[in-house]
Amino acid sequence: MNNIDILLIIIFVAIGTYTLRFSGLFLANKLKRIKHIDLLLEAIPATLLISLVVPSIIKTGIIGIIAAGVSILIMHKTKNTFLSMSIAVVIVALHRNGLLL
Amino acid sequence: MKNNLKNGFISNLPISISVLIYGVVLGVICTSKSITFIQLALMNIFIFAGSSQFVIVDMINNPINISIVVGSALLINLRYFLITASLNDLFVRSSINKKLFIVHFVTDESWAVTLNKKKENENINIYFLLGGGFCIFVSWFIGTSIGYYFGALISNPKLYGLDFAFLALFISIVASMYKKRSDLIVYCTTAIIAVILEKTISNMSYIIFSSLIGCYIYIFINKREKYE
Repeated sequence: MNNIDILLIIIFVAIGTYTLRFSGLFLANKLKRIKHIDLLLEAIPATLLISLVVPSIIKTGIIGIIAAGVSILIMHKTKNTFLSMSIAVVIVALHRNGLLL
Repeated sequence: MKNNLKNGFISNLPISISVLIYGVVLGVICTSKSITFIQLALMNIFIFAGSSQFVIVDMINNPINISIVVGSALLINLRYFLITASLNDLFVRSSINKKLFIVHFVTDESWAVTLNKKKENENINIYFLLGGGFCIFVSWFIGTSIGYYFGALISNPKLYGLDFAFLALFISIVASMYKKRSDLIVYCTTAIIAVILEKTISNMSYIIFSSLIGCYIYIFINKREKYE
């Protein structure tokens, strides 16, 4: 791993993110003319997060799938992101320390 | 102005607790990825977008594919385009300099709190939004710093399941984004496509491909619903 690479990533993402933040504000009136842009931007966060984590969760093994399932369930019931994240982590930790399954 | 700034800050304090805790998680993950504190601080100051910072840190490995990491992080941050577009009315009478400065401190949290308060209070203005942004900024910085220096004391994060924190956090966020039954079709299809592409594509670009296929399915389903 190379520090220059990391720095380049930070610089590019910083510039890109700032551009997104101000262009939304400055282009708000022109945005409405583009077909389905609202649907596309609406869909991106969830689909991207799924693409990012599902393969990794499956690589964690059965325990990862169980923990992810439990966190979805808790999220559905309580709407508390922190709680559902913590419990999933505890499940994985208990399993790795031989205390679960 | 001062009152609005202060009220914005205070109104974001409850949500800032969870922001701080996410920050701790990110700080811990950074230590396991050998990212320096300076790099973490630069991310906090100049990117200031939690989930994309998680993505960057998670994707940093050997060898680094810069374009894929940057592309993924920016795809996640695309929502800011819509978020700030929705703030158009709030900034209507602001100078260009104020716009350029305040817009950097817009986060999911401060945006949501501002819109929520604006419903019941006519006097909410851009300073309220900025105060909220400052609150989130400070708690994010403190949280990531605690995680970074406390993380150094943890010898084997895997034993504590901390490597799974990021996956659990994102899957929880996805669960909170779920709105209607047709979303389930989109989410499951995207997941299956991601798993298949991950096995067939050698680099991390499968993330972007499966995400865009998922978006296409979402547009297809919802476009049809619009006309029905």
